[in-house]
Amino acid sequence: MRHTYLWFIQLVTGVLIAVLAGIHMVMQHLDKVLGFFGVNLNDPTSWHSMVERSREVIWASIYIALLAVVLYHALNGLRNIILELTPSARTERIVTWTIIAFGIVIFIWASYVPIALLSA
Amino acid sequence: MRRIQPRQNYLGATGWLWAGNYRLERYLYILHRVTGLGILLFLLIHLIMTTVFRIQGQDVWEATMRILHNPWFKIGEYLVVVALIYHALNGLRLVLQELGFLMGKPTPPIYPYQDSLRKKRLWTMAMIGIIIILCLVFFYDFIAGGW
Repeated sequence: MRHTYLWFIQLVTGVLIAVLAGIHMVMQHLDKVLGFFGVNLNDPTSWHSMVERSREVIWASIYIALLAVVLYHALNGLRNIILELTPSARTERIVTWTIIAFGIVIFIWASYVPIALLSA
Repeated sequence: MRRIQPRQNYLGATGWLWAGNYRLERYLYILHRVTGLGILLFLLIHLIMTTVFRIQGQDVWEATMRILHNPWFKIGEYLVVVALIYHALNGLRLVLQELGFLMGKPTPPIYPYQDSLRKKRLWTMAMIGIIIILCLVFFYDFIAGGW
């Protein structure tokens, strides 16, 4: 049953990413098209608008939530691809724990940065 | 004689590319996997950029952004956008099919036979249309943004 749950979480995180990363993409990259509809985000990739965003708790929370969801989806997908080669049970354990350790390290580092920048 | 184990994938990694008489949806599946791996690679680069280079202050960040405004990086960025749009929309199609939508009602197997592929293929074509439209919208933005 464990694999069923992992797959179901993969579906749920996929839909969440489609929404969150969709907003992320439109805000960061579609400035010309948004300008056509009368929305002006004032150059979201410039240093000053970035510093303004990184001082707000709501943006840090959104980024950390997106990070957690994306990391699960990406690393579980990678694990599924590797395990399709049907390795032995021992190799499967090694792959699983390497990926979990990798994910935890990246999550701690990349969620520490926005939290530290809140007071910077 | 060699016994075939129930969990054995005897095609190995080549089975990722070719395992029989493929239809359109199976190629979409390969593309889904390739774009997924590409986005994972981009995610790692993106995270390094927005953490390691971000915390070193304004000068380092603006130097990084100048490098990333190189036309070759812009082309790569556009390819990531296309991969994301494809992966997102194909993923939504897969989720809906997994939950039993987009397939039509089950019918008894009486001649002339109906298969669910006919219903699914229509939605697949609609999905490809939406992908092309979104890719063109983002392409316009890349051109208008001066690359």
